[in-house]
Amino acid sequence: MKILAITEQREGKWNPVSFETVVAAQQIAATQTGSCVTAAVIGKDVRGLADELATNQVAEVLLVEHDLLERYTPDGFAIALRQAIAQSQPDLVLLPHTYQVRDYAPKLAASLGKGMIADCVGYRADKEGIVFVRQMFQGKTAADVSFQGAPPWFVSFQAGAFRGDQVTRGTAPAPITTIKIDLKQEQIRTSPLELFREAKQAVDLTQAPILVAVGRGIKAPENIPLAAKLAKLMGGELAASRPICDEGWLPMDRQIGSSGQTVAPKLYLALGISGAIQHVVGMKGSRTIVAINKDQNAPIFEVADYGIVGDIFELIPALTEALEKK
Amino acid sequence: MSPERERLDADVLIVGAGPAGLACALHLARLIRQHNESGGKPKLPAEGIYVLEKGRDLGAHQLSGAVLDPSALAELVPDFAETAPLDAPVCDDAAYFLGARRAWKLPITPPPLRNHGNYIVSLNRLVKWLGGLVEQAGVNIFTQFAGVQLIYEGEAIAGVITEDKGRDKDGKPKDNFTLGYELRAKITVLAEGPCGSLTKHLVAEKNLGGLNPQVYSVGVKELWEVPSGRVNAGWVAHTVGWPLDSSMYGGGWIYGMRDNRVSLGLVTGLEFHNPRFDPHEAFQRFKTHPFVRRILAGGTLVRYGAKTVPVGGWYSMPRVYLGGCLIIGDSASLLNSQRLKGIHMAIKSGMLAAETILDALRAGDVSAANLSQFRRKIDQSWIGRELRSVRNFHQSFQHGLWRGLAHTSVQYLTRGRGLVDPMRMPAGHEQYHKLDGAGPAPPRFQGDGMLTFDRLTDVYHSGTRHEEDQPCHLHVLDTNICVDRCIFEYGSPCQYFCPAAVYEMVEDKGGQRLKINFSNCVHCKTCDIADPYQIIDWVPPEGGGGPNYEGM
Repeated sequence: MKILAITEQREGKWNPVSFETVVAAQQIAATQTGSCVTAAVIGKDVRGLADELATNQVAEVLLVEHDLLERYTPDGFAIALRQAIAQSQPDLVLLPHTYQVRDYAPKLAASLGKGMIADCVGYRADKEGIVFVRQMFQGKTAADVSFQGAPPWFVSFQAGAFRGDQVTRGTAPAPITTIKIDLKQEQIRTSPLELFREAKQAVDLTQAPILVAVGRGIKAPENIPLAAKLAKLMGGELAASRPICDEGWLPMDRQIGSSGQTVAPKLYLALGISGAIQHVVGMKGSRTIVAINKDQNAPIFEVADYGIVGDIFELIPALTEALEKK
Repeated sequence: MSPERERLDADVLIVGAGPAGLACALHLARLIRQHNESGGKPKLPAEGIYVLEKGRDLGAHQLSGAVLDPSALAELVPDFAETAPLDAPVCDDAAYFLGARRAWKLPITPPPLRNHGNYIVSLNRLVKWLGGLVEQAGVNIFTQFAGVQLIYEGEAIAGVITEDKGRDKDGKPKDNFTLGYELRAKITVLAEGPCGSLTKHLVAEKNLGGLNPQVYSVGVKELWEVPSGRVNAGWVAHTVGWPLDSSMYGGGWIYGMRDNRVSLGLVTGLEFHNPRFDPHEAFQRFKTHPFVRRILAGGTLVRYGAKTVPVGGWYSMPRVYLGGCLIIGDSASLLNSQRLKGIHMAIKSGMLAAETILDALRAGDVSAANLSQFRRKIDQSWIGRELRSVRNFHQSFQHGLWRGLAHTSVQYLTRGRGLVDPMRMPAGHEQYHKLDGAGPAPPRFQGDGMLTFDRLTDVYHSGTRHEEDQPCHLHVLDTNICVDRCIFEYGSPCQYFCPAAVYEMVEDKGGQRLKINFSNCVHCKTCDIADPYQIIDWVPPEGGGGPNYEGM
């Protein structure tokens, strides 16, 4: 059986899960007589990576290079790898189950009219052939899946299914075969933008010394800038109770309470927050709590150090004005 | 192109890991083992039974009083008295009539409410234990997975589809999106409890309803820890009267448990006339009665919850079988509303279903004709006898408490027939009186924070949690009705009947708008049942969401 392990790199750096895929290929090959392992690296100017890959015990390294593969596109990768598969004729194609693979591998398999078993956690090999194991029902049960029909067969393995450090080194560098890729710009229907890292949390309320939090009493999204301005003048951050974020008036990362964040700032100014227990559990550790609410029976006053029974629409402008004068 | 669902093939798929579903799974696993060990032909696979449960863990959504009649459990687990987590044997029971200030103990406890030989249990703990036995027997229980759609194959049922995971508020797939699985089974057992979301649609679609529509009550419950010496473990009290008026069906319970815990609650028939009636508030007021206050004063609230109860009984039983499908437990109306007991029948019906299924698997015949023996088994078992003897009980209360009680004694003497048999009864949501001329809505109940609580505080104590970024699981089919009609005709009863503050009408651009706080939902199903226009469809949210009824 000829096994092809496809690796993943970005800007010339390995995705370490690549070596898990090579290990998977080596281990499966060991169970099937007459097997050989080929490893492929795909990108632009990745000769160095191919050399490194060749130090492992593989029969051959495929170098899939093209200028248009510099940056990842699903069309580019699927077309290039299809050509690599056509030339090397593997029976089994192994991939790491990464976001990139999730994106292009189904397209690649489907373009060849083949099936793919994705996100496997292991395999079992016996005389009958190889069975791949994948989890179902959030890992509560495992399913054995095998292929029907003619190769090549596609399988992706979950990160951690194999140990990358168990890779077997070769005694001599494996030969590197350059795959000639025929790829044109017009075949690629997407153009990638700059890579960016999604800001995990735009604001870290747990670190803010002063929080100005708004609740239902703020009434309408148009009124939120009033509180935002006050927060800025006080040198604090704007926070909110659940209904405000639920309505989408402020993003979820500003929500305080049992379904949001737990905070303990030096000063917590609660504007128009009634003080349902769900909110209070998220802020009762604040050093000083000041609450403004129209309803004198609002439970927020039970945890407040200072309370004002009044209209926030009178008090916010008054506070803002006083701070501006300073 | 729509992506293909992953598929798993089962012999038997049970939807709902409550007492009915788990009893079915356990009994069936044992029957199949016995069949195979005794060389029965054909050999049946032992690993083909699967159970779906929407709760986070086993028992998480289980709520009951509960006084357990152990008859069925003794059949299922003969050594239950030594091995089951029973709280306390009932040592003393009493019935009370409550006036606004006084409580009158009935000189004798009416026979249906006599509980000697029964046990006070936490249904949550009982189900957790039962689930452990089921798993030991080799059955796969998939917690955090709900059945959301039945797979039809002609007139028969061929399995269910589980809910999609990882959709955002607007229904768009998130990073962790997983399409629901297609679980195919030779026999699907619906054990969803009261007003099951699959059962409801199946009964409507295939016209399986009984003679009477199903009617429900809602039970609102709190678990308290009280200073020692207040009540003995094993003390059982049932009340009628205040705070419900005599036109309403329902009553209260107070059970003494071990470790100074007290289970108490109020059950209210979801067939009241006042659309502004608030079952949660009624329960809070119940606690302020001197009789109840005396027990709770100085104690602390441990947990809160609410759940509906099917009380229609025999004449509301749907057809409980069709091709490839059985309906058991509360979903099948198997509850004795006069004795306030359904767990024993849930367990027994699960066992009878298991026997039916074994027979069908052996014969390779899962047709409706062959599965109809399940209904005969129910009729011939003590379930049939017990339910027939109270078949007109609940209906006789439709004209108030006094006529109901009077009729109940006639029924007792005539072994269930009563004065009119069968006695008919409309669905509860048809019983509202319109608001015409009613004054402005009274202020909402606040609670003193010690003995009584507002709904949000109680919801906090239910341990309810949902993934917030998912589509709302309470489908209101036409929100125009809420704004254009309901406000005026009924004063938006969803704001009142929901014991978890899910529904509220909020000011919006000069008018009002329905706001659904779905993540408060304790999965009681009251809204689906009690909405006067029947436009609320309760569907399971992403699996794992909902209350955590630890110890309830």
